[in-house]
Amino acid sequence: MTSLPTTIQDVFNEPGCARNASKSNVERKNGCTKQLKPGGAAGGCAFDGAKIALQPFTDVAHLVHGPIACEGNSWDNRGSASSGSDLWRRSFTTDMSETDVVFGGEKRLYRAVKEITEKYNPQAIFVYQTCVPAMIGDDIDMVCKAASAKFGKPVIPINAPGFVGSKNLGNKLAGEALLEHVIGTGEPDYTTPYDINIIGEYNLSGELWQVKPLLDELGIRILSCISGDGKYREVACSHRAKAAMMVCSKAMINVASKMKQRYGIPFFEGSFYGIEDSSDSLRQIARMLIERGAPAELMERTQALIAREETKAWTAIERFKPRFAGKRVVLITGGVKSWSMVAALQEAGLEIVGTSVKKSTEKDKERIKELIGQHAHMIEDMSPHEIYKMLKGAKADIMLSGGKSQFVALKAATPWLDINQERCHAYMGYVGIVKLMEEIEKALYNPIWHQLRQAAPWDEFDWKRQAKAVAQMHAQAVDPVRGANTNGVKTISFSNKSEVGDGESAIAAHGPNLVEPAKSCTNSTARCLACKDIHSDLQPPALQAAE
Amino acid sequence: MTQNAEHILDHSELFRGDEYQQMLANKKALFENPHDPAEVDRIKEWSKTPEYREKNFAREALTVNPAKACQPLGAVFAALGFESTLPFVHGSQGCVAYYRSHLSRHFKEPTSCVSSSMTEDAAVFGGLNNLTDGLANSYNMYKPKMIAVATTCMAEVIGDDLNAFIKTSKEKGSVPADYDVPFAHTPAFVGSHVTGYDNTLKGILEHFWDGKAGTAPKLQRRANNTINFIGGFDGYTVGNIREIKRIFKLMRIGYTILADNSDVFDTPTDGEFRMYDGGTTLKDAANAVHAKATISMQQYCTEKTLAFIKGHDQEVVAFNHPLGVSATDEFLMTLSRITNRAIPNALERERGRLVDAMADSSAHVHGKKFAIYGDPDLCYGLAAFLLELGAEPTHVLSTNGSKAWEQKMQALFASSPFGKNCRAFPGKDLWHMRSLLFTEPVDFLIGNTYGKYLERDTGTPLIRIGFPIFDRHHHHRYPVWGYQGGMNVLVKILDKIFDEIDRKTSSVGKTDYSFDIIR
Repeated sequence: MTSLPTTIQDVFNEPGCARNASKSNVERKNGCTKQLKPGGAAGGCAFDGAKIALQPFTDVAHLVHGPIACEGNSWDNRGSASSGSDLWRRSFTTDMSETDVVFGGEKRLYRAVKEITEKYNPQAIFVYQTCVPAMIGDDIDMVCKAASAKFGKPVIPINAPGFVGSKNLGNKLAGEALLEHVIGTGEPDYTTPYDINIIGEYNLSGELWQVKPLLDELGIRILSCISGDGKYREVACSHRAKAAMMVCSKAMINVASKMKQRYGIPFFEGSFYGIEDSSDSLRQIARMLIERGAPAELMERTQALIAREETKAWTAIERFKPRFAGKRVVLITGGVKSWSMVAALQEAGLEIVGTSVKKSTEKDKERIKELIGQHAHMIEDMSPHEIYKMLKGAKADIMLSGGKSQFVALKAATPWLDINQERCHAYMGYVGIVKLMEEIEKALYNPIWHQLRQAAPWDEFDWKRQAKAVAQMHAQAVDPVRGANTNGVKTISFSNKSEVGDGESAIAAHGPNLVEPAKSCTNSTARCLACKDIHSDLQPPALQAAE
Repeated sequence: MTQNAEHILDHSELFRGDEYQQMLANKKALFENPHDPAEVDRIKEWSKTPEYREKNFAREALTVNPAKACQPLGAVFAALGFESTLPFVHGSQGCVAYYRSHLSRHFKEPTSCVSSSMTEDAAVFGGLNNLTDGLANSYNMYKPKMIAVATTCMAEVIGDDLNAFIKTSKEKGSVPADYDVPFAHTPAFVGSHVTGYDNTLKGILEHFWDGKAGTAPKLQRRANNTINFIGGFDGYTVGNIREIKRIFKLMRIGYTILADNSDVFDTPTDGEFRMYDGGTTLKDAANAVHAKATISMQQYCTEKTLAFIKGHDQEVVAFNHPLGVSATDEFLMTLSRITNRAIPNALERERGRLVDAMADSSAHVHGKKFAIYGDPDLCYGLAAFLLELGAEPTHVLSTNGSKAWEQKMQALFASSPFGKNCRAFPGKDLWHMRSLLFTEPVDFLIGNTYGKYLERDTGTPLIRIGFPIFDRHHHHRYPVWGYQGGMNVLVKILDKIFDEIDRKTSSVGKTDYSFDIIR
C-alpha cells in the first residue's frame, strides 16, 4: 500500500495530462493544481472531489469517516441517476465526537463498517478519509484491511482528506483508489468484442441513458461506467474491456491512462454533448473496437446510425435558429468540457463570446480556439468578480454555468442556465442537445429578464427625486457619513447597485474610496438608476443620446 | 371488527372494515339497482371528450358547481369592516346561517351577524314587524354602534322597502332616531357576493355622506390630503390590509381603510370574546368624504361605490387585485402620484427581492400552463402575475365575470407573448372547467377549496388561491398584495410545482432516480 504523499506525487506525474507534460520538473513537483489563495472564495476540497467522483456508484455504501460537517453538507448532492439500488443515497458517517478526537476514531470506524455490513450487506463499502481523523492519525487503510478480512467484503479506503488539495486532486485520488483496490479484482461472466468502459461520466439526470440505447442498437456493451449508475462488480471487471472512452478527462485521466498501461485498454477523449461530438465519439468507439478485433462491419452500422440520428437532431434544432439569431452566450463550465459544449451551441446558431478553461487541458483550449477564433475570451480564473465583469463587458444574452455562478449571473441581470451537476435536465446525445436548446430558449425568452434589467419604474421619470438625489450626492461628497445618514427619499448607490452581495467586486470596481461618486458613476451601467440619473446630469446631451 | 371502545376508529378508517364494506356492497347490489359498471365507465370517459364539452358549453338553464356566492355574503363581509357594526340581514334566517358558517369556515373566527327571521306570515304580510322587532332586539342584546341592514331574496321578492321600513321602525322606537342604520338591497338573484359588497359599502357611505336618510344635513366636502382605500371582497383581507397599512406607513400617507375587517376576522385568544374588533370608525367613515382620492383594489367589487365617490368630487382609481411586480409598481406609483409622496427605499428593496426570487425560480414556472377560476379581479391579478413569470394562464374562468371583464382579460392576454393561447370564460361554472381541463389539459389549476374535486377528477394539481379556502388553515393571514404578497403567491405556486415533481418521481425503484434533494 502506498502512502498518501506518494500517491499524490504519482498523480502529478500523470503523462496523459497534456498540461502536466509541458511543465518543468520543479513545477511538476509543486503539483498540478493551483495553490489555494487564503482569503479568496474557493471551490471544494479533495474530500469533496473524491466523494462526488465515486458517489454515483449505486450499490456501494459510502461511509464518511469524520465529524458531521463533511457528510452533513454533502449528503445526496449529486444529481446522478441509478437504475437499481438507492443505497448510494443513504447517508453514512461515523459522526465523530470530541471523545473520538481525543482517543482516536479507528474503533468507531470499524464498528460503523460492521454495522453497515450487518444491516445493509452492500456489495462494498467505500470509506472516505476526512481532515480530522487524518490529522489525529486514524489509519483508515489498516481499518479497512482488517474489516475486509473480518467481514469478507471489499472495504475500500478513499484516502483524500480535504486538506491535501483541491477538488480536482480529490477526483484523481478517488481514481487512484479504484485502480489500487477495485479494478481488476473481479472477472466478468463473459466478454464480447464489443465491451467498452466509459470513464469520467456520472449519468447526471440519467443522461447516459439517452446514449445507451444507441450503443445497445450497435451491440456495444458498456462493461462498466465510472462512475455513473456504476455497480461495484462492473468496475471490478472493467479491466476486461476492449476500449475506453474518457469523458471528463480532468477528473479521471489517471484511471484511463493507467488502465492503458496495465491492461492495454486504449482510450480516447470524447464527449456526447453536441451532435458532431456525439457522432465523433460513436465513430471512435467503433474504430477502436474494430482495431481490437471487432468485425469491420460495425463501422458501417455505426455510420448508418449516425446519419439517421443526425438528420433527426438537425431537423429538431432548425426551429431554434431564428430564436437564437444574434444571441450571445458565456459558457462557464466545471466538469463538462467547454469545447464540446461550444460546438453544440454553435450548431444552433448561438454566438460564443467567452468560455471558461479552468479545467480544460491545453488540447481543449486549442480546440476552443479553433471553434470560436483567436479572439475568444478564455477565462482561467472563475472568481465571481471575473464572471461578473465578463457578463457586463461582453454584454452576453445568457450564461450557462454551474449552480455556484448562478447568482453572479442573476445579479448581473443575465439569463442563466444550469449545465453542471445540479441541473434538472439531461443534455447528452442527440436528444439531449435538443433539450438543451429548448432550455436555452426558455431561459432567453423568460419575461423576468426584462424586469431584471429595469429599475423600478418610478425611477424612470421622477425628476424631483433625481434633483434630490443629485443634491444628496453633493452633500455626500462633502461628508459621506452624514450624507448617507440623512435618510432622504433614497440613498444613492455609490457602489454599482447590481453588485450587491458581491462586495469583493464592488470594491475592486470602484475602490474603497466612496467619496468619488462621480467617477464611480460614470463607470456604471444603466442598471444603477441613481447613478444613471447623475450620469446623465454630468454628461452633455449628445453623449446621453448616444447611450 | 366494528367499533371498539378500546380503540376508537375515525370515520375515514372505520368504514374500511370488512363488515362495513360488505354492508355497502350488499346495499348497492340489493337495493340500488345500479347500472352496469362498464356502462358507467363508458359514460365517464365520454364525459371527458370534446364532443361532451360541446354539449356542456351549450348548457343554457343549468349551472353546475358555480364558483360564486350570493350578494348578502358580500354585504356581511363589508359590514363587518366597520367599528362595532352588526350586520343585519332582513329575510330568512337560514340564509344568514350560511353566511356565518361560510365566513367562519374560511377565517376560523366567529362571525357576528343577525337575521330578521322572516317566516311564512311575514312573507305574506311583509317583513316590517320582523325588521322592527329585529332591530330592537339586536340593538338591546348586542349593543352595536351601528346596524347595517342587507336583504335576502325573500324580502326582495315581496318588495320590502328598507328605507321606509327603517324609518317606521325608528318611529316605533326600535332604535333611537339618530342611530346609524345604513342599508342596501342585496338580492341573490342579481350579481354575486362582489355585487353585495359593492352595494353595502355604497349604502354605508351614502348614509354618512348624504344626510343619513334625510335625518341629518349632507356633509360638505373639504378636500384634504388623505386617501381612502377599499380592499373589496377578499379572502386574504387579514394579511392584505395589514400589509397595505405597513406600506402606507412606509410612504407616510394619511389614509382611511374603508371596511377594514382585518381585526374582526383575526381576534386573539386571550380569554375575552370580541364580538366586534377593530374596523373603520364611524367618524372615519364620515370623514372619508374629504379625502383626496379613493383607491379600490378590486374594480368589479366597487363599481357602484366608486361611481358614488366620484360623484363627491374625489379622484377614484380601481385596480384588479394587483399581484406581482408590475401590478404592484402601478399601485405604488399611483399612490405616489396622488399623495405626492416618494416611494421609499425600503419598498424598492422589497421589489428587488421579489424580482430576485422570480429570477431564481423562473425556470420552473416558465412555460407551465395554468387554469384559473375565481372572482373576476383575482383572476385578472393572478393571470397578469403568471404572464410576468412566463407561465400561460390558459383557461381563466369567472362565474361572476362579465362580458366587459372578458374583454379586459383578452386585452391582457394580447399584451404578452405568453397569452397567445389563453382564453377568458365569463359566466361559466366549474363543470365547464372540467371539460376544459380534460380537452385542453394544463399543468396546474388555481382556485378555491372546491377545486379539489376537479383536482381529483382531472388529475390537475390544485394551487389553493381564492375564497373560500375551507380545507387548509390560515392562508388568509398571509398577504398576497404588495411585493411581500407577491412573494407569498410565488412560493405557493412553486411549492406545488416542486411537490408535483417529487410526487411524480417518488415511486421506489421506478422513478426515484429523479427524486432529488436539490431542485
